[in-house]
Amino acid sequence: MNKTVRTLLIGFFLFAGIQLSISIDSHAFTDRELAKGTKGDDVIELQARLQYIGFFKGKIDGNFGYQTYWALREFQEKYGMPIDGIAGSKTKKKLTSVSSYDKKFVMDNINKGKEFTHYGGKPLSSQVKGGTAVKKPNTQVPSKYSGDDLKLLANAVYGESRGEPYEGQVAVAAVILNRIEHPDFPNTVGGVIFQPGAFTAVSDGQIWLEPNERAKEAVIDAMNGWDPSENAIYYFNPVTATSKWIWSRPQIKKIGMHVFCD
Amino acid sequence: MKKIIFLAVFAIVSLSAYSYSIAGQNKDLQNALSVQYAKNISDASSKLRDLDEAVKKTLLFNEGKGDLEAREDIWRLSSDIQQSVASLPLDQRFSTTWMNYLGRLGKFSKEGDERTDPAEFHKVMDRASENIESLSDQWSIATADMASGNLSMAEWQDRLDGEKATFDWKGLSASIQQYTESDFPLTASESDALKKKELKHIKDPKVSKEEALSKFKKLFPDVSKQVIDTTESKPGAAYPFYHIRFADQDSIGYIDITQKGGHILSFLTERPAGLGKMELESVRARVETFLKDSGYTDVVYEEVRENDTAFHFVYTRVEKMHQAKVLSDTIQVKAAKEDGRILGLNAAEYIRKEQLKDQPMIKINWKTFFHQNVKVNKQDLVYVENEHGIQRLAYALTVTLEENEQVGTYVVLVDTETKDVIRTEKQA
Repeated sequence: MNKTVRTLLIGFFLFAGIQLSISIDSHAFTDRELAKGTKGDDVIELQARLQYIGFFKGKIDGNFGYQTYWALREFQEKYGMPIDGIAGSKTKKKLTSVSSYDKKFVMDNINKGKEFTHYGGKPLSSQVKGGTAVKKPNTQVPSKYSGDDLKLLANAVYGESRGEPYEGQVAVAAVILNRIEHPDFPNTVGGVIFQPGAFTAVSDGQIWLEPNERAKEAVIDAMNGWDPSENAIYYFNPVTATSKWIWSRPQIKKIGMHVFCD
Repeated sequence: MKKIIFLAVFAIVSLSAYSYSIAGQNKDLQNALSVQYAKNISDASSKLRDLDEAVKKTLLFNEGKGDLEAREDIWRLSSDIQQSVASLPLDQRFSTTWMNYLGRLGKFSKEGDERTDPAEFHKVMDRASENIESLSDQWSIATADMASGNLSMAEWQDRLDGEKATFDWKGLSASIQQYTESDFPLTASESDALKKKELKHIKDPKVSKEEALSKFKKLFPDVSKQVIDTTESKPGAAYPFYHIRFADQDSIGYIDITQKGGHILSFLTERPAGLGKMELESVRARVETFLKDSGYTDVVYEEVRENDTAFHFVYTRVEKMHQAKVLSDTIQVKAAKEDGRILGLNAAEYIRKEQLKDQPMIKINWKTFFHQNVKVNKQDLVYVENEHGIQRLAYALTVTLEENEQVGTYVVLVDTETKDVIRTEKQA
């Protein structure tokens, strides 16, 4: 009797263990190759799995940057695979077989904006830092800009030009970025935007309106190099402009309601 | 009736109390801002006096080393005054010319002993000293009593605004402009940078509006059927171009094409994002076919950034002499994740093709050049603009360093001839 009970219990725990492991690993990677520059939930899984077995020590954020790249190369080297820093099907298969991924734990913490890690061998509940953090967008911008720059620029673009065509919104973002490089202006995004009298949206408080996705997209394009203003450092609306001086600036182009000038 | 009177009295009393509270808050805010402005005026005035003193100190020495401390003070003080000036609601003309002068003075002082012979440096500083003293006097007159912090917002506006103020801010701007031109005239490399902006080196003949349109239609047949209008750049543009706007089915956008040679400056289209997702490799292949078909055959893949609806690719021109990448000559391409369609092309930097010179390449022992904890992972050759605006051949080293248990990645650009570190960039 005892023997039967013991066998049943062992069988039950084995079954439960398999079920648990299936539930943890059920969210396997997508089919696509993951390389430096990609982002998304599959990159989150890649980072979490690499962290589980100790290769990735950075923040799990879904952006495939250099931290992920070096960790992946180290993993490939250790498991005798071709070292290219790209997660193709073979690499993903090997990684899945030697690591675990608790999708719910990882995604819950990302969505709550919590700081956490996903190392194997210690309880996950002990790997979440206390307090609440602000959830930051995982947008990829050139390394000279930060997520905070993106947010502030999007606010400025939305406050200044939300009724303008997309081209005009990219141009407004480009003017702000051109000013940072110009010797006559402060050299930070905040310094340029909050220079007294520089932007109407700052003076009338419209800069604090919540920007939409279109304004954010316009800023991302400007940060990536697009400049429909063709190197302008000023712009004005001819209907509402009160400064006589602005009319003396060499004009480059008109987009929507704004004239862009040097 | 009594009820109505009671309600009316209650409403009036509540409104009065509310207005009083709001007025109080506004007054507090204005006071806080006024104190900030007063502090910045006071800071700028006191640092301007220190700057004047530091400039004079540099006149004591013949050799570069003797005035090192004073030159560092000039660099720091000019930057500090720039910050104070930037945070004041000053007349825009005055603010921009003043920022420019301070920037040039700081830069000249920092680079003093490397770039200029001592006699020339002494001559410039002598002139600058005279000009700063005069500026300091004028600034004292203009900002007299402002540092008391007892001005209303309207009063600040009246004192600092070029149109309203009794002080001649326009005149002071004009003086500073003259000082800038006499003390720090544009260097050869800066003039080159301006010429580059004007695209003067493009000797191609002017293309007509029709030819520009035809180029647009050839390169982007998907979106070029419905052109809204084609206009020319305004006379103030540094380089003349055609501006073509289009709206085709679900796409709306623009393309700018130079009048000299019909080169694409930039193209960008906006359209609703679809749900499909193409693999990065397939999109990249499509982008590279597009670049090849469009005649951009001397570029190589540099990097990609994936965002919600699109990939942003960067390609860099490779020169023939050393097969080095020219970091200033890049092309950016935006492609839709949904179907790989080209949504944007930015070739403004690429068509300004930098003028490059050959230079000696000395061997450098990276083991002794870097700290022992640094690992060199990759070495390339690039042309990059140094701080004097000159294109230099450089070793581009991708190095890593353990930082608090994480791996920090840096790209370090080292001049192949002088071993100077031109730039160090932290990578994400």
